[in-house]
Amino acid sequence: MIEIFIVFLIFGLLGIVLIFMNKFLGPSRTNPSKEKQFECGSPFLQKGINPIPIKFYLVAFLFLLFDIEVVFFFPWALIFKEMGLTAFIVMFAYIFILAIGFIYAWKKGAFKWEN
Amino acid sequence: MIPISYFIVLSFILFFLGIVAFFVKKDLLTQFMAVEIMLNAANLAFIAFAKSANALDGQVIVFFVITVAGAEAAIGLAIILLIFRHRKTIKTEDINLMKG
Amino acid sequence: MNTFSSLTPLLIIVAGALLVLILEVFLKKEKKDYLAYISIVFLLGSVYAGLRFWNQNPSYFNGKLLLDNFALFFIFILAIATILVTLISIKYIFLQNTNHGEYYALLLLALSGMMIMVSSTDFLIIFLGLEVLSVSSYALAGLKREDPLSSEAAAKYFLLGCFASAFIIFGLALLYGVTQSTDITVFVQSFADPNLSLLAVAGIGLIIIGLGFKIAVIPFHMWTPDVYQGSPTPVTAFFSVGPKVVGFAVLIRIFQPYWRAAVNTEAVFAALWIIAVLTMVIGNLIALRQTNVKRILAYSSIAHAGYLLVAILSRDNAGLLFYLMVYLFMNVGAFSAVIALSKKNKEYLELDDYAGIGFKYPWIGATFSIFLISLAGFPPTGGFLAKFYVFSTAVREGLITLVVIAVLASLVSVYYYLRIIIYMYMKEPSRDITIHTENPALFFVLFLCLYGVLQLGIFPGNVLVFIKQAVASIL
Repeated sequence: MIEIFIVFLIFGLLGIVLIFMNKFLGPSRTNPSKEKQFECGSPFLQKGINPIPIKFYLVAFLFLLFDIEVVFFFPWALIFKEMGLTAFIVMFAYIFILAIGFIYAWKKGAFKWEN
Repeated sequence: MIPISYFIVLSFILFFLGIVAFFVKKDLLTQFMAVEIMLNAANLAFIAFAKSANALDGQVIVFFVITVAGAEAAIGLAIILLIFRHRKTIKTEDINLMKG
Repeated sequence: MNTFSSLTPLLIIVAGALLVLILEVFLKKEKKDYLAYISIVFLLGSVYAGLRFWNQNPSYFNGKLLLDNFALFFIFILAIATILVTLISIKYIFLQNTNHGEYYALLLLALSGMMIMVSSTDFLIIFLGLEVLSVSSYALAGLKREDPLSSEAAAKYFLLGCFASAFIIFGLALLYGVTQSTDITVFVQSFADPNLSLLAVAGIGLIIIGLGFKIAVIPFHMWTPDVYQGSPTPVTAFFSVGPKVVGFAVLIRIFQPYWRAAVNTEAVFAALWIIAVLTMVIGNLIALRQTNVKRILAYSSIAHAGYLLVAILSRDNAGLLFYLMVYLFMNVGAFSAVIALSKKNKEYLELDDYAGIGFKYPWIGATFSIFLISLAGFPPTGGFLAKFYVFSTAVREGLITLVVIAVLASLVSVYYYLRIIIYMYMKEPSRDITIHTENPALFFVLFLCLYGVLQLGIFPGNVLVFIKQAVASIL
């Protein structure tokens, strides 16, 4: 049993040492030819990833934010029956604040797909 | 039944992997992913401790941490996008206008 | 006293932030100034609502949020800082092409996060407040969208800030595992236990590292100079005061019961002692070779964190609170003077720009000199009294070596503060400097800060009474 631990320890430490040796000993600057996509030596036919319109990022951010907020509905739903009206008011205030964020994003034109 | 110590050891490993990745990696997005791994290590520890003590509050804390991570991700990705628009790169070694 | 009304100071600030955010999209571009005045009204309302609770100790959420005098004192300081920063921003964001109304909303949201942090002893709540503060701060740092320096500052602040937050939350997870609670008082009790769990030690260590990042003490300071240099200048003034003040409020909340428990304190004491010495010595030494005024002030604020740690080590809460109050006025004042020397799309930040300013713009030069003298710690300014209180208490507590190092370090600091003054008064102007002078709000702030620094330096009596009551509430 103990031999396995020692083996894991030694090789784990070796891994860490090698990672940091790379960092400290090797030159860390990249150059343009290193950054180029590699395609078996022949000139590449197309770029790796085509640029995506910035709109998609904006939609992704907004989705992320409004999606995460739903997380608090779960504990709320669990205790809704015991708390009654208080729980309703609390959730109403919460959704009100979210709605203000939504109006802000709307008025800023985050949902305009054209242009 | 898996003993709680396994979870804690796993969360420690994740946390230190996050730290190592934060210092080894050289681009903003990967460094940010390292930080997310560290946050999730904390989540794992919270859930494991809450389960072992049969308490609910640890699991609720995880909800808060998830929200915090989400808010940080939104603002962080926006900042990284801003950097990319200025310089067409997100390598940390190219982000060096200020020194001293 | 468990009452919903104890939430009013916080709710007013949040309501103000939401209102400003909504009005921003409906107001015309040239009327964005109104948002500043609206947010000042809400800030004053919040201060008034807070004043009514002085000496009453109300709380809510089963005592998770409590407005004792200590919390109220910090809420006043932070609200004053936010009012001053709002006033100096009005013209600045217009001149520097940063005129987004979200600016004021983000300031108010950052303030609400800080208010949550100072008014709780539950570390989960403190962490959530810290995140509200941090997320708004990242956005504020990058708000000068056309300037690559600003986005670089935002990226650095964001990465290091997230990194620090991860440390804090992991430390909290470990402490939760040991104590089944997230309350600071319970943490401290677990430390009085003679057979101390290793997990608890790791937990408190990680939390202190995370807080060290936030208050920018050496060796966790690498982000500070870059972030301070790149951010819009009023935001820099806000960063140099706000996060530092709340960071020390949280440290007092932790260490006030911890020192009293008087068990297992030697290792933590030694660690803080070393951090304090490093912060004072290295912060002041690196500041000597800076030529950018914002960077000089950044290193000076790092060094001041070291002096404040001396007060933590000598258990001198009253001295610490007084120091923070003086620090607020002199630092915001110094940054306002830097802002005064700017015009449309141009800020003068290099030392060479300051040559001859003292004669060309005598009022700005004179007030800036007084703030610098106060930062260096000469009488009759508040900076002298603050250092005097902190160091004399430390001597009485027997920390002689620490005080000797602190005094030597602040002697070193005199050099770079005086260098700016020498540039202003004794150098021939080498460049042609013209500034935008129609900025009444900024001059009002300069006057207020000057008044604050001199009042606290000459007649600190009334304030000390307040501070005594504030400190008494957490004993």
